[in-house]
Amino acid sequence: MDHFINLTLSGLANGAIYAALALSLIIIYQATRVVNFAQPALALISAYVAYTVTGATGSYWLGFGSALVTGLVLGVLTERLLIRPVHNKSPLSAIVITLGVLLTLQGTAGMIWSNEPHSFGYALDYRGMFSPADAFAVGSVLLVAVLLLALYRWTPLGLRMRAAAFRPEVARMVGVRVGLMLTVGWGIASLVGALGGVLAAPPFLSPNVLDTAFVYGITAAVVGGLDNPFGAIFGGFLLGVSLSYVSSYAGPELVTLAALVILVLVLSVRPDGLFSRPQARKV
Amino acid sequence: MSKPLLRVEDLVTSYGAVRAVDSVTVDVAEGEIHAILGANGAGKTTLLRTISGLLSADSGRVWLDGKDLTRTPAEQHVHHGLAHVPEGGGVIVELTVEENLRLGGLWKRDRAERSAALTEMFDLFPPLWERRSRPASTLSGGERQMLAIGRALMARPRVLLLDEPSLGLAPLVTQRIMRLLRDLRERTGLTVVLVEQNAQSALSVADRGLVLWLGRVVARDTSEQLLADDQMRHAYLGF
Repeated sequence: MDHFINLTLSGLANGAIYAALALSLIIIYQATRVVNFAQPALALISAYVAYTVTGATGSYWLGFGSALVTGLVLGVLTERLLIRPVHNKSPLSAIVITLGVLLTLQGTAGMIWSNEPHSFGYALDYRGMFSPADAFAVGSVLLVAVLLLALYRWTPLGLRMRAAAFRPEVARMVGVRVGLMLTVGWGIASLVGALGGVLAAPPFLSPNVLDTAFVYGITAAVVGGLDNPFGAIFGGFLLGVSLSYVSSYAGPELVTLAALVILVLVLSVRPDGLFSRPQARKV
Repeated sequence: MSKPLLRVEDLVTSYGAVRAVDSVTVDVAEGEIHAILGANGAGKTTLLRTISGLLSADSGRVWLDGKDLTRTPAEQHVHHGLAHVPEGGGVIVELTVEENLRLGGLWKRDRAERSAALTEMFDLFPPLWERRSRPASTLSGGERQMLAIGRALMARPRVLLLDEPSLGLAPLVTQRIMRLLRDLRERTGLTVVLVEQNAQSALSVADRGLVLWLGRVVARDTSEQLLADDQMRHAYLGF
């Protein structure tokens, strides 16, 4: 029984990371119908900045903070410089651009920081089952989720952002600067992605270190329903815990396959994900 | 007529080679309800969308109280006192009734003013108060139209552009909306540009109107005159 509880707890810690990454994808998807494939690269650069700052100052928390700021800035820049020019084109254009950003930034990271793995620390002590580092991962992601919920639900900015996402033209009619809201959304999403990146990277940082975590992040987002932030968070934790069981009871080599099976099972029962709202789409 | 509050001057808007609005001039006096009539595809909605900046004009000008709004971005129009209720209302069904209303006043910095406007809207539309925390998707068609108008009024506009408020509504509900427009005008001096296919109900409240046909103005007169012109009614208004 102890083993089962331990598996659940460590699954929750991984799940928190998937939840953060899923959330970072969904914030953008909801507003623009674009799956931001650049997100792992934005998170990666953020993690490298954390690595550099921590190396220079000796403070993990300065590195952590600078990663979040880097994430925010990179998200804003990506939207303003690369995505905005194709705003009125099909979402496919933007998606292809995000793929380009992914490849460019991963290559750039290798050129700046080398492709060799660097050791990258945990926030807190990582030893033992549900270590302080695990608790920090779960706690920080839940805190971010609550803050985001509060922002979207109870602030004028959040109301503007939701209006811009749901009905951009109507939002403009009531004076909302829709473009600005998209930029803010990209910044916030990328900040959440950077948090996921810093949590997912340890113990080693290399240009492709976040790829697997992001595949699980996308899986979590789809399982939860791409239209629902709660779904993303739930999907993240569900996937983390499930994969933890699979890894221990069936063998770690089956984890990737299990993620696929979960995805297929959920989609065959609920094609739009567990928490999607039924809705009519314009065709 | 005194100096118009809203002046549309020789406006042209095209979709590719098609001139949807073709040299249209409209003068709307302060406190007037002005009907824009015409069949489907006459260019009514295009005209309204160009006035509110959602479409850019090929040529011509839009003036509001002497200010040239022709090249002003759509999201700025509300700052100049122009509010637009689109066809179907444009209620955001994913938001609650209250959130929809709040949205209309958000551009104002003064919080006290925003909440005063909200209270006023709930007084004006008691059914919206009862349903304030429900998603707007649960409202009936008539209630949605009220909500859409309420949201536009939250901005305390000087000119309200209203696109087909009667669309899909029962005649009784349409009547109620038309009465509301007249009351608002009497109480607050609101100026209304009312686009309607349902010419009869629009002319029942409007002071004056014009008839569009393939993007051009084919008639403009007082409501009484338009209603009295049998030839015009049969040819363009279908009753």
